[in-house]
Amino acid sequence: MIAILVVITSIFGIFHKYQEKDFNLDKNWEQTLQQENEALKKQMEQSTSKLEKQYYKEEIAINDYRIKHHIPFNEKYNVWTFVKDASQLIILAGLFTIIISAGIVASEFNWGTIKLLLIRPINRSKILMSKYLTVLLFAVSMLAILFVFSALLGAILFGMPDHAVPYLNYSNGQVTEQPIVIHLLIYYGLSSIDTIMLATMAFMISSVFRNSSLAIGLSLFLLFTGAQFTVLMSLKFNWAKYILFANTNLMQYVEGAPMVEGMTMTFSVIMLLIYFAVFQFLAFIVFKKRDVAA
Amino acid sequence: METIVELKNVTKVIKGRTIIDNISFQVNKGEVFGFLGPNGAGKTTTIRMIVGLMAITSGDIEVGGASIKNNFENAVRHIGAIVENPEMYKFLTGYQNLIHYARMAKGISKEKIAETVELVGLSDRIHDKVKTYSLGMRQRLGLAQCLLHDPQVLILDEPTNGLDPAGIREIRDYVRLLAREKNLAVIVSSHLLSEMEMMCDRIGIIQNGRLIDVQLVQELVHGAAEMTYELEVVPADQALNLIDVHYPNVRANRSRNGITVELPKEQIPLLIKKLVLEDIQVFAIREVSKTLEDRFLELTTDKGVTSRG
Repeated sequence: MIAILVVITSIFGIFHKYQEKDFNLDKNWEQTLQQENEALKKQMEQSTSKLEKQYYKEEIAINDYRIKHHIPFNEKYNVWTFVKDASQLIILAGLFTIIISAGIVASEFNWGTIKLLLIRPINRSKILMSKYLTVLLFAVSMLAILFVFSALLGAILFGMPDHAVPYLNYSNGQVTEQPIVIHLLIYYGLSSIDTIMLATMAFMISSVFRNSSLAIGLSLFLLFTGAQFTVLMSLKFNWAKYILFANTNLMQYVEGAPMVEGMTMTFSVIMLLIYFAVFQFLAFIVFKKRDVAA
Repeated sequence: METIVELKNVTKVIKGRTIIDNISFQVNKGEVFGFLGPNGAGKTTTIRMIVGLMAITSGDIEVGGASIKNNFENAVRHIGAIVENPEMYKFLTGYQNLIHYARMAKGISKEKIAETVELVGLSDRIHDKVKTYSLGMRQRLGLAQCLLHDPQVLILDEPTNGLDPAGIREIRDYVRLLAREKNLAVIVSSHLLSEMEMMCDRIGIIQNGRLIDVQLVQELVHGAAEMTYELEVVPADQALNLIDVHYPNVRANRSRNGITVELPKEQIPLLIKKLVLEDIQVFAIREVSKTLEDRFLELTTDKGVTSRG
């Protein structure tokens, strides 16, 4: 799996290298941004949706900041842009983690090895706990490998940036500068929440139903469709904010607007903790009480 | 004799059906205890409860003085077991499997692993993947896995299943050796009666979830009180009638040469006297040693109500 991840990241990198166009900085970029801002302002006035208005407001604020502090809009494609692009592959790390998580308990039942495992002088909670920690460790290593490898590959293929360009972040009506590496690390960290929650769910299904196919199938289905599905739901129903996937993307609070109005970081974190506790509780209770008859 | 495993009124109910009904017995150090019963009698369920794979509905099981229910870790550390087939991680080598199990118990050195491998005679193939092993070799690896942590109780569920005669013999000799030399208590389950007869010291017979009888093997096979005698008598019908009248509780059947009757040895002369007085000709009296199989079928067809006083 590590090999697959590395190979796909490489292909991704080569693809980007091939697509890379000759870069020439628009000399009049400040003017371009001015024009863009005016267009955005017009759109903002026409817009009726509060979310859309919020979005335009942000774009304008960031553009203004760029003009004021002389930070060009487009910069040469470099290692960090690549790392940011390659972060799309986080979903791949998630996929592998889910596969591992779904199999780690269910396979023991399928193979029959669970019998020899559970007659060790170690109680079942400890065994399940160590299995879960293994899953987390795997998830973290996959993300770390993806980050480090894409950074290395990016540095080789596209080179380091000439001068550090900060990432501009808009929150609470203010534009702040953030070193790009920090931004990417935060981005990775928050993106992994999705993966970890789904891996936990797969783990729960795996130990409750002892069926790895069900666990993999259901979790992957939700990994790929959960977010979109929740967006659709959130347009119609307010209670969509209680759905797991409305809360997994914590990035929405750092930048951008929450999916459903009235949601806050604290709310999402609490929801995530509740889901997490429920998954773990089910997994542990069922695993502890189960009669092993396989 | 020191008791190491004790079952106290163990009952298991699954979905309203009583699988195991109030079983109690003890197993002592240094003895091989056979657990005998037809398929589906509850042998495996009982064994699973002893090793903590299944919960006990009521009653308790103590291993080395610790309850498997409330003090699982301390109870199960005395046990080495193979439950049904020894399922190992097929994609690992035998040695990697043993390392894996060794890590989960305290203080097992590399030397101990090597020693155990030597003991079960797997030294040549231990670094091969388990998927390349024959059933006999897997059985031996399973045994190695049981013995790694020097358990005081060895539990083998159907250990000879699927083995060839040489393999069966090997396991049998090995089990006897462990019980004798290392003072292990061994619990073996099987539905093969001849097998049990050769391997065990005591046998518990289980049927429909109830423990019908626990006996020493010698007692079970050559029980003095339970001897069967074949009498060559003419006319046989008359003799049968006579036995029916005088010994209403005794089994008597027609056999090829006359009749068979189950009587304590000391009652035989009296019976002969009675036969002679009734003018029945007695040609011969032979002691018929019953096999375990006879006893077993007898016990189980009686549904636990044996003729033993």
